[in-house]
Amino acid sequence: MNIAYLLLLAPAPALAGFGFLALAPFPMTRRPAALIGAVAGAAPFFIMLPVLFHCFGGGCDPAKIAPIMTLTFGETDVALALGLDGLSVIAGTTVSGIGALVLLYAVGYMAEERGRDVRRFFALMNLFVAGMLSVTLAADSIVFFLGWEIIGLCSFFLIGYYTDRPRALVGARKAFVMTRIADAALLAALLLLFLEAGSVRLADLIPAGVAMTPERQAMVAALLLVGALGKSAQLPFQTWLPTAMVGPTPVSALLHSATMVAAGAFLLARLAPIFAAAPMVAGVTAAIGLATAIFGAICALAQTDAKQMLAYSSISQIGFMVLALGLGAPGAAMAHFVIHAFFKSLLFLSAGVLSHSAGGSTAIRALAGGSARAPMAFLALAAGAASLAGLPFVTAGWYSKEAVLAAAWDAGVIGKLLWLLSLGAAAVTAAYAARLILAAAAPGAMNAAPNTDDRHSDDLARPSIRAPLVALAILALLGGVLVGPILHLLHEAHHDLAFIAVALGAIAPLLGAWVGYRLHAGGDAWLHTPFMRDARRGGQVDARYQAFVVRPFRRFKNRIARADPFEIRLPMPKVAAAEAEAAPIGGLLRRISRWRRARRPIRIRLPGWRAAEPVARLDLVGQATVSAGTFITRLATRALQPDRIDVAGTGAARAVGGFAEFVRRVQTGRVRDYLFALALGVGVLLLFA
Amino acid sequence: MGLIALFMLPFLGGIAAMAVEGRRPGAERWAAIATMIGVLIVLAAMWAGGVDESGQWIARHQSDWAPAVGVSLTFALDGLSAALVALSAGLGIVAVVASWSGERRWSGLFHLCICWTVAATNGVFVAFDLLIFAFFWEAMLVPSFLLIAIWGYEDREAAAIKFLIFNAVGGLGLLAAVFALAAMADTVTFNAFELAEMEIGPRAEVWLLLGFALAFLVKLPTPPFHAWLPDAHTEAPTAGSILLAGLLLKAGAYGLFRFPPMLFPDATVALSGWGMALGAFGTIYAGLLACEQNDAKRLIAYTSIAHMSIVLMGVSGGVYFALLGAGVEMIAHAFSASALFFLMGSLQHRTGTRDLRALGGLQRRAPRFAAAFSIFFAAALAMPGTANFLGEALVITGMFQVNWIFAAIALISLVISVVYATRLLKGIMFGEPKSTAEIDDLNWRETIAIFTLGFGTLIFGLLPQILAGAIGPAVDAALAPFGK
Repeated sequence: MNIAYLLLLAPAPALAGFGFLALAPFPMTRRPAALIGAVAGAAPFFIMLPVLFHCFGGGCDPAKIAPIMTLTFGETDVALALGLDGLSVIAGTTVSGIGALVLLYAVGYMAEERGRDVRRFFALMNLFVAGMLSVTLAADSIVFFLGWEIIGLCSFFLIGYYTDRPRALVGARKAFVMTRIADAALLAALLLLFLEAGSVRLADLIPAGVAMTPERQAMVAALLLVGALGKSAQLPFQTWLPTAMVGPTPVSALLHSATMVAAGAFLLARLAPIFAAAPMVAGVTAAIGLATAIFGAICALAQTDAKQMLAYSSISQIGFMVLALGLGAPGAAMAHFVIHAFFKSLLFLSAGVLSHSAGGSTAIRALAGGSARAPMAFLALAAGAASLAGLPFVTAGWYSKEAVLAAAWDAGVIGKLLWLLSLGAAAVTAAYAARLILAAAAPGAMNAAPNTDDRHSDDLARPSIRAPLVALAILALLGGVLVGPILHLLHEAHHDLAFIAVALGAIAPLLGAWVGYRLHAGGDAWLHTPFMRDARRGGQVDARYQAFVVRPFRRFKNRIARADPFEIRLPMPKVAAAEAEAAPIGGLLRRISRWRRARRPIRIRLPGWRAAEPVARLDLVGQATVSAGTFITRLATRALQPDRIDVAGTGAARAVGGFAEFVRRVQTGRVRDYLFALALGVGVLLLFA
Repeated sequence: MGLIALFMLPFLGGIAAMAVEGRRPGAERWAAIATMIGVLIVLAAMWAGGVDESGQWIARHQSDWAPAVGVSLTFALDGLSAALVALSAGLGIVAVVASWSGERRWSGLFHLCICWTVAATNGVFVAFDLLIFAFFWEAMLVPSFLLIAIWGYEDREAAAIKFLIFNAVGGLGLLAAVFALAAMADTVTFNAFELAEMEIGPRAEVWLLLGFALAFLVKLPTPPFHAWLPDAHTEAPTAGSILLAGLLLKAGAYGLFRFPPMLFPDATVALSGWGMALGAFGTIYAGLLACEQNDAKRLIAYTSIAHMSIVLMGVSGGVYFALLGAGVEMIAHAFSASALFFLMGSLQHRTGTRDLRALGGLQRRAPRFAAAFSIFFAAALAMPGTANFLGEALVITGMFQVNWIFAAIALISLVISVVYATRLLKGIMFGEPKSTAEIDDLNWRETIAIFTLGFGTLIFGLLPQILAGAIGPAVDAALAPFGK
């Protein structure tokens, strides 16, 4: 039997779990909802596991696909299928494995929520697992995009899980709009490839994409790149991820660090040959990846909130993956994808426990005393942070980062430069990882803040919380053994580094950790330097987007919607956001905005037009149609005023009225008069006869 | 005979509903529902017979009526018409269910109006004698006018009159073009199949097409002919909104789909670029306006305009994918828009407001309501898996084949759709409840109706084969002038 058919079963339990939790027509209490959700969401992993072993045993054959169905549109067949190759199996197993552990954790973590909300949470998490599996296992662009959008939708609802918190909605909306912009680019690229290949099978799209004319190829590759950057929160789309951290911790751990945000990297790995054939775009990819890695690391260093730090850390780590992909090393990227999933979800989960023990605060300062309050969570955090820092030889993170660095080292002269810069990013990574551990290790109150609600203090008593922490800690430390097999499965030679490179690669994280220690020990003053303040706010990029993209867009639609069709105002941008003015290049902006402020709105009044009703003003074109209609009618009828026909009619009516009056008078109702009239009539008749 | 039953049944059903009113509480509702089910049964029986040897028609009927003036009883049903007739009967039931609760004056007349709207639109979908087509076209207006004018909200009279004037002017264009076209034939005839064979000069073709298009574009509606729709939707009772969004707009799209390529092939090709440009403008314009509305029904109305503009793009595209996409989008939008109006109407019935600033917190107060909103939120966003995505993706694919600029504009409209859809959800689901009043969750009747619509959206999105197969022959016919 074709083992690929087993893949069809992988998303099925999660989908069924979603369907049941979402649609079952009876109320459910917290416990059964959580159990069903966790079991259904964990089941895919146990289906992926045998497939993975089969693959490691050499059974992976890209030609093996599991057809779902074939749709016929005219002469085009659209064959939907799941595929069994190294990439899909590695990513699929990682996703389902992390999903299983996080859902297990969530059973304990969400234990205090209301039953209805728990049900919604698990339903969405299951849908997410199913969507993510269809992204990773897809053998055609339709299933791929289906999953891609499903995870975006789930992300929206899960970021907005706490529906009554205003920030939840803002974060969810921002994430959704930004990723949707990228999704539109991805859809365009996939449709162009489809038109080129006449098929949706990825195995057909890739050669078709490689064989295109260079210009078209560059365009398609660029569109794909935009799609990947948006989903993976890479520059210039990075700003949605930090605000997405308002969801519950399991959501941050699964969606916004380990799996969904890494989907962009997976996309680039999936379609790597197209990028290999478009060197320009590949170069841009590498540059953006590296820039994001450095940018994210610096921003992470400057954070004062643990979740924010981890968010920027995800941005930075995925930057390493994108760098490797730009350098044509999808194997190294996928190795880092897997290891990053281990340690980053571990960091989120353990930080979640620590913050519960600190009374719900996620501030780094509030972690103090964590090692005493929740020692096991602290150890897990330490394991994750060590792996993130890439401490040499003893952590998995070191091996996967080495694979990425090696890919840079081997990429010629420019590659050496990239290697050096990414080494710097790795050092900064170690610095902020050290900050995190040291903060939690610092002495602090045994019982957290006085106004703590105590309900979460027994988190670690729950086995469903302890088990995932232990499992992930082991993977984050020992998962390095997987790097070799992953590279092998993806047919990528292990780059051998020169000794000097290995040595420097080992020194950098240690150096970084030492810097982190110095920063921690030296007090908070450095955090308040202007540079760090800027970095803490993500380089003020968000404020600039607000000032230069979001507000102009809002004004634009405002203007269309509220424009008075008879009063044309030239667009007058308001003052740029104060935040943007405070930014380093604010001087120039300030001058521009001042100049703009000085401009007065120019009103052009068209003579003779009546201003529209304020209510009806909401729609320029629509109101113009109506007004034009009434205007023409008025013009046409003015000549007819007063209405001659009406006058004539009134006159006629008056005449008729007179006659009617006569008739009415005739009908007096007196018998005598009628008899008289009758006699008169008879007399007249006789006269004529 | 079956063809005639498709519109005669709801016509008679309306009269029956009026007649049985008051005999027993709710009798008129069941009369209306029974007729719709009757239509569905007749349709299913005809559809089961398959298509004839031409490969397109499920049934055709032709007999003389007034041969002296060229009027004949010419009716035909193909996959596209059948899908739309099924839709109109189904939405007729939904409209009845949507207006189940609450006291209503002249309930018999109300259900008569629902039935007659369905009857007239069914007539439009099967008539191939242009005079009869024009008759049904005008006949659609009367019951929907009454629905708005009698049972609407605060500003109902103004909205109803605006609706009537816009559509009557559009219908005038159609009527004039029909008469002019019939007069051009050697022996006067209104039979569309005969007129399709006729040679018309290129200039005349363009003018006649513009006459037809005026009616269709006003009904679609696409900017700049759209001003009646937001008002009509806002003021209409829920049933009226459902029929407007689900049926009347589809009649406009159907007309564009069917008649221009059949009657004026050269002009259709010549004007296709203008059609796409108008659609592209409309989808962005209406999308941006939707982002600015505070009135939830108005917001949904503008999204309708945006989506119907995508249909216009697809219909004018002249390539297989675009036309197929337009057909799918028509059906998909009928489901999603009428469901949104349904939900909004129920919410307004419970809370007394449809102002997004005064609503909110529904996730906490009425989770089933919120779940239903989420489904159609996804549909309004064109999430893959919903039929809306299929329609838009196919149109975009087609646009890439014609002109990538239009494809890019359609993709931008996808991004704008996120902005307005999240605005709707933000106002309704998120936040703290603005009032402390309890809101009843959806009752079982509403739940069934709404999940049937949701099921339709998903089934056509996940198994698009059903729809693509049904409307395929009509798409091929519409492609004929483009020589593909």
